[in-house]
Amino acid sequence: MTSALPSIYADCKYPEVPYEEKLRLFDEVRGDIRYHDTLYGCYECGICVASCPSARFYDFSPRVFARTLSRNDVETFYELLNDSVWDCSQCFSCVRCPRNNNPGGIITIMREVAVNNGLDSAKQALKAYSRVIYKVMSTGTQVAPDMLQPDFFPDWGPDVVAVSENLDVWRRAIPSDTLHTLELAWDVSEKTRVELYLIWKLTGNLEMIERIDESSFLILEEVMEELLEEHGFDIDDIDCVI
Amino acid sequence: MASVKNCNLPDDLLYHVANNVWLRDNGDGTYDLGMTDLAQAMAGAVIHCRIKKAGKSVKEGKSLATVESGKWVGPVKAPFALELLDVNGNVESDASLLNSSPYGDGWIAKVKPADADVAKALLSSADESVDGFEKYLAEKGFDGCPTP
Repeated sequence: MTSALPSIYADCKYPEVPYEEKLRLFDEVRGDIRYHDTLYGCYECGICVASCPSARFYDFSPRVFARTLSRNDVETFYELLNDSVWDCSQCFSCVRCPRNNNPGGIITIMREVAVNNGLDSAKQALKAYSRVIYKVMSTGTQVAPDMLQPDFFPDWGPDVVAVSENLDVWRRAIPSDTLHTLELAWDVSEKTRVELYLIWKLTGNLEMIERIDESSFLILEEVMEELLEEHGFDIDDIDCVI
Repeated sequence: MASVKNCNLPDDLLYHVANNVWLRDNGDGTYDLGMTDLAQAMAGAVIHCRIKKAGKSVKEGKSLATVESGKWVGPVKAPFALELLDVNGNVESDASLLNSSPYGDGWIAKVKPADADVAKALLSSADESVDGFEKYLAEKGFDGCPTP
């Protein structure tokens, strides 16, 4: 089987991938329960691009996503799924579309399909965020204050050195109820973590991590197994219900 | 001393390339274990290290410690099935030792293999490990350790 539409990209990177495989992933995106709320036909006005912060910095266009999906352009879809889909900042500025399209929503679904299918592009894109994934999965909080390190946030300039060296002092200067945590954005109770771990298991999220990042999976499985065991759950007995 | 892309591999240690760890044979059936110079350089400035408790058994390939730097987290994988005899509490309270002294004060645990012969067969000397580490670094796309 071949595509009815050639890709819009002259330098296609994945001509060797069978069309059937591309179509399978395309259908998985279109089969998502949220999909019908993301696309109502695109007349390519470009308002989404004009409002898109990522489009200012990358060769990225939310319009191309709406156009590609509405035209059933499977070849271009596969190129986007393996590259451009990771350039979106998921800010959803693009929802100001006069047709009520939601290119950011299409991208959300496409990213999930890329991750669920263990695509190399997903592995590469998420590689730099292993600690963020670890924090979200093990604590439910995402960005920790102690991520402010000179070798990871050089864009903060010279100030990041002073901030990282005196992080506890800076945190105590914040008059909020975060309990001045350093390793977490805020304090997380044991009860919350138990519920979180059960959700990750029941929804298949832990298995999803295994497909894209074996090292993170190893650590997370241990952390979850230990706490769940303390609360009378056997991690191996909890099956995905989705 | 052997080296790979400016990362040191002391000659008196043994290495498990795939898991990027070093081991020191204590001559009494036990080994000291830690992250290689390559591993600490790839991790960046380490800010946390959590080691499993002494007395725990760890299966081959499973994590015996978790290491965190700014955005990265990763396991220190057991090169063979082992028991943790002792763990380095200093590294847990000051994880920067993993960067400043990966082969000295930054040791992670003293371990006893479940099967001594299996353990020996899985380890290689510094010179024997060079090719493997070069390939490992190429696969990871890592340029090498910074010049001191």
